[in-house]
Amino acid sequence: MTESSFFLVVLLAGITLVALGLGVALLISPKSVNFQKGEPYECGLPTHGTSWMQFRVGYYLYAILFLMFDVEIIFLFPWATVVRSLGMTGLASILMFIVILSLGLAYAWKKGVLEWKSTTSK
Amino acid sequence: MNNRDAYDTAMNEITQLIQQIAPDAQIEAKQRLTVTVRPDQLHPVIEALYGNETLCFDYLISLVGMDWGDRLGAIYQLSSSVDLTREVIVITATADRDNPLLYSVTDLYGTAHLNEREIYALFGIRFINNPDMRRFLLNDQWKGFPFRKDYVHDPKLNPETVVSSEIIDVAPHIVERDGELIEESVAVFGEEDYIVNIGPQHPSTHGVMHFRTSLDGEIVKKIDVHSGYIHRGIEKLCESMTYPQMLHLTDRLDYLSANINRHALCMCIEKAAEIEVPERAQYIRTIMDELQRISSHLLAWATHCNDLGATTAFIYGMREREHVLDIFDKTCGGRLIINQNVVGGVMFDIYPDFQKDVKAFIPYMRRRLKEYDDFFSHNAIALGRMVHIGLLSREDAISYGVTGPAGRASGWSCDVRRYKPYALYDQVEFKEIVRTEGDSYARYLNRLDEIEESLHIIEQLIDNIPSGEVCAKVKPIIRIPAGQFFQSVETGKGEFGVFIESSGDKNPSRVKFRSPSLSAVSVIPLISQGAFLSDLIGITGSMDFVIPDIDR
Amino acid sequence: MEVNDIKIKAFPAEEFKDNDTLQLYIDELKKAGGSVIVGKLDQLIDWGRSNSLWPIAFATSCCGIEFMAAASAHYDLSRFGMEVTRNSPRQADVMVVAGTIVNKMAPLLRRVYDQMAEPKYVVAMGACSISGGPFLNSYNVIQGVDRIVPVDVYIPGCPPRPESLFYGLLQLQRKVKIERFFGNKRIKRNYRPETLVHPETGETIDPQIDFDNE
Repeated sequence: MTESSFFLVVLLAGITLVALGLGVALLISPKSVNFQKGEPYECGLPTHGTSWMQFRVGYYLYAILFLMFDVEIIFLFPWATVVRSLGMTGLASILMFIVILSLGLAYAWKKGVLEWKSTTSK
Repeated sequence: MNNRDAYDTAMNEITQLIQQIAPDAQIEAKQRLTVTVRPDQLHPVIEALYGNETLCFDYLISLVGMDWGDRLGAIYQLSSSVDLTREVIVITATADRDNPLLYSVTDLYGTAHLNEREIYALFGIRFINNPDMRRFLLNDQWKGFPFRKDYVHDPKLNPETVVSSEIIDVAPHIVERDGELIEESVAVFGEEDYIVNIGPQHPSTHGVMHFRTSLDGEIVKKIDVHSGYIHRGIEKLCESMTYPQMLHLTDRLDYLSANINRHALCMCIEKAAEIEVPERAQYIRTIMDELQRISSHLLAWATHCNDLGATTAFIYGMREREHVLDIFDKTCGGRLIINQNVVGGVMFDIYPDFQKDVKAFIPYMRRRLKEYDDFFSHNAIALGRMVHIGLLSREDAISYGVTGPAGRASGWSCDVRRYKPYALYDQVEFKEIVRTEGDSYARYLNRLDEIEESLHIIEQLIDNIPSGEVCAKVKPIIRIPAGQFFQSVETGKGEFGVFIESSGDKNPSRVKFRSPSLSAVSVIPLISQGAFLSDLIGITGSMDFVIPDIDR
Repeated sequence: MEVNDIKIKAFPAEEFKDNDTLQLYIDELKKAGGSVIVGKLDQLIDWGRSNSLWPIAFATSCCGIEFMAAASAHYDLSRFGMEVTRNSPRQADVMVVAGTIVNKMAPLLRRVYDQMAEPKYVVAMGACSISGGPFLNSYNVIQGVDRIVPVDVYIPGCPPRPESLFYGLLQLQRKVKIERFFGNKRIKRNYRPETLVHPETGETIDPQIDFDNE
């Protein structure tokens, strides 16, 4: 009971602080809107054409690999806080986890995902 | 002396060669050997001069558009890459002012491409067989041709406006097939290309350069160079000024080598008007030129490293540069634009502690050069971003006219101070730094080595400054005799040329500045094709161009 | 508030030259009214704003090199909080127009100015941006950048020494310190109607509705 009310207090405090900050800024800030502020910035020139188009899959692959290893790091943090109490069994299981993910990295490395290849010939 | 005999034989050979192809060409021996041909004879004559094995005129120094009142034409200043003292001038003109057409030499010289586009924008002359005949410096919507003698600026026709005009990527051109002239258009980029504008308002383009780049992900497919965002019409302004007034504007071209540009213009006027410069002034001019070259190379190094990401190197380079600027400040009051060279000598004499300050600066700079070598030149990231990036071959460097440290990094020995010496460069010893790899790292090392050579030149001169006057007596209104006069100097970026055509008046009738940065930027689309986008920034940093020099 | 109340550390107000213009500005703001408490809050906000104005990198020619020299170690722009030159106008406060502006560059200058977020200031550095400079009679040069954007401070020189640039930036700081945050009484700045002519068709366009034919 006390834990859920604690959670509720934290949630409300978070929402209030953010709303207070944004709300005060909304009320007292100076307003100035013109057409150019909505335009994307392209070194001073007007933009040309649409920006919704196919982009190279290499960007996606880089981002996905980063995400995977970022999530791995997130899993490592809670293990690091309780590492002493878990002992050798904890170490063995986390090593298994890291080894499985490293196999994925080795596969990506071998396949050449980490290098940028041109899709059209020169 | 053998030089004179060899020169005369070469000139005789040229005369015979031209008379075989164009028997009715006029050949005169003025300041340079000048050949005047009809427009249809131009391409065969230049092709013969280009292809001849012994003469080998494969370096087009400058291409000047001219308006002689009744005729419109062009002046080609040709030289040879193996013997830079050999120069020939080819002139052609057409009387048609409504649709003037001349033949293009783009198939022989790569540098002719942008020069001919510039002549089209400013004079209206179109070149047959040039693959891309858009205007180069002015807007596509500009009405009129500003450099013609009968141009009157009408602010209603060409208003100052905040509305952008659309950039159309279609290149019209004229081809000649079977004796007929056909006008065609070709698209500059492909249909599906992803085009991004790099610049003009961009921190890494060293000014207001606009590269329209088509990208394949991270790889650059094609670059289209748009210029003219700082085109101030300096050459046209000079036509309404007297000769001493013109000096003020040359500082604003390549402002990092401001003193050297002014030196070129002063020498051109002095040689034409036969004014003798005192010995003391020559010493001061040479020492200040070399100090200016050091400050230009320091800034080039600092901004190049800043483009690669090393901001510390930027701060270090600017710190050293302040020492040189202090010396300039104490001599003549200016830091960047020093206003020292005038026609006949220098304006300000050196201050009493000048020799002490310069002699203290030389060992200080040498220690700093060693420091730069220690902390940056062998850094793994610096090497990875500069070695084998932006390869420029020797033939391309000659064809596009890339001189200076960038041209010498491709194996072309082209230092004007060695081959066409002026001021005191024939009396001092210095090495010409030539490397053969042609990549960004070679250009980077060239600049640092040239700073060392400049220090060596200053060392030889600083203790021997003779006493005397610093400026010859010159009339306030200078008139130079009628004719065409050329002069080249070596600035920090390459060969800077001045061309003056005079009709005996107190104003020149045409002035042209041959810009080393125009050659450097014209070769960027060639050497960065297939490179990564981040390497493109590194390549433009290593080529070291200054935009007001391109746009004039 | 008086001109002498504007405090720049170690610089008494009498050492600044153009105090009359600032006094006119203060009188106009006073006519609009405002309470003491709000005034103190204004002072706090203005103190924060004036000491961290971030310039946008808009160097076109020679004055840009002097700006870079002023930002370097010897003269050090970072003492005033301005060493962070942002490259995007969305993140910048002040646009130091260093260099000549020509006809081809004018639309870009105005567009970058429009894309900056309020509050924004413009400093015209160098003779070319004040009046066209040495290129006064040229066919392609805008005779003064205040024909395109509204300018707050003019810094003469060709190029101005870094010390002159600092004097101009301190004057700008003084101008920022007398602003009103609440009530927003800054003067609205518009386009000059002659500059809204489309170069191809010759007709005038409305900047709010029909900019760039989008």
